[in-house]
Amino acid sequence: MTSWNETEQIEMHLSGRLDTGNALVFEARMMLDPELSDKVAWQQKTYGIIQIYGRKQLKMEIEAVHQNLFTQPEHSSFSQKIRRLFTKK
Amino acid sequence: MPDISNIDQLSATREELFISLYKKAFPAVAKYVNRMGGTFDEAKDVFQDALVAYYEKAVSGKLTAENDMAYLIGIAKNLWLKRYRDSSQNISLDNVDISIDNREIPSENRLMHFLETAGKKCMELLRGFYYDQLPLNDIATLFGFSGVRSATVQKYKCLEKVRETIKEKALTYDDFME
Repeated sequence: MTSWNETEQIEMHLSGRLDTGNALVFEARMMLDPELSDKVAWQQKTYGIIQIYGRKQLKMEIEAVHQNLFTQPEHSSFSQKIRRLFTKK
Repeated sequence: MPDISNIDQLSATREELFISLYKKAFPAVAKYVNRMGGTFDEAKDVFQDALVAYYEKAVSGKLTAENDMAYLIGIAKNLWLKRYRDSSQNISLDNVDISIDNREIPSENRLMHFLETAGKKCMELLRGFYYDQLPLNDIATLFGFSGVRSATVQKYKCLEKVRETIKEKALTYDDFME
C-alpha cells in the first residue's frame, strides 16, 4: 500500500466511511501496529488544524473587506450611514 | 504541488459575497448594537464572527436562502448580548450554535505561522477541500490538476505531509494543545 492510500484509509476510518469488513480489518491493524494508531491520532489533529487555518484566513479576508468598505470613497455613503449611528447621542 | 495562481479567483468571489452581506446586514446589526448602548467596534466584532458562522453553515449546505439574512443578523445580536451585556441578564442562546472561539495558544500560533509560510500551497488545497468544502471538480480546475483523480491523490499527499509536520512541530513545542 502506498502512503497516500493509507492516509485515505485513515480518513475513511475517522469519518466512519469504511464498510463493516474493512472497518474490522482496520481496527485489527491499529491494535497490532502502534505506528498506525499514532498516524490516526495525528491525522485527527490535522483536521482540527485545517479548520483553524481556514477560519483564520477567512477572518483576514473579512477584515480586509471591512477596511475596504470603511476607507474607500466608493463606499462612503454606506460607511457614513453607519458612522452617523454612533456619533449622534 | 498545486498551483495557487487561480485561487485569487476564489477569494475575489468571497470578497464580493462579504461586501454584499455587509451592505445588507451590517446596518441592522449596527443599529441594534447602538440602541443597546454598544460601540462601533463591538458591532464590527460580533458581525465579523457572525459572518464566519454564516459562511461555515452555508458551505456545509445547512442554510436556506429564505432565512439567511435573519440567521446572520440573529447570530450577531446574540453574540453581542453574550459578550457585552451584563452577565446577570438571562440570555437564551437556544437554536443558535455559536462556536467561535477566539482564544489563542502560543504554540498553535507558531505552528500556524509555520504552515502559512512553509506549507502554504498544501494548506490552501486542504482548506479548499475541508474548510471551504469546494466540489472536487472545482478544486481540480482551480488548482490546475488534470482531473478529479489527481486532485484527490494530491490532497492525501498534502494531508500526510501536513500531518507529519504537525507531529514533528508538536514534539518540539512543550505547550502544544491538549
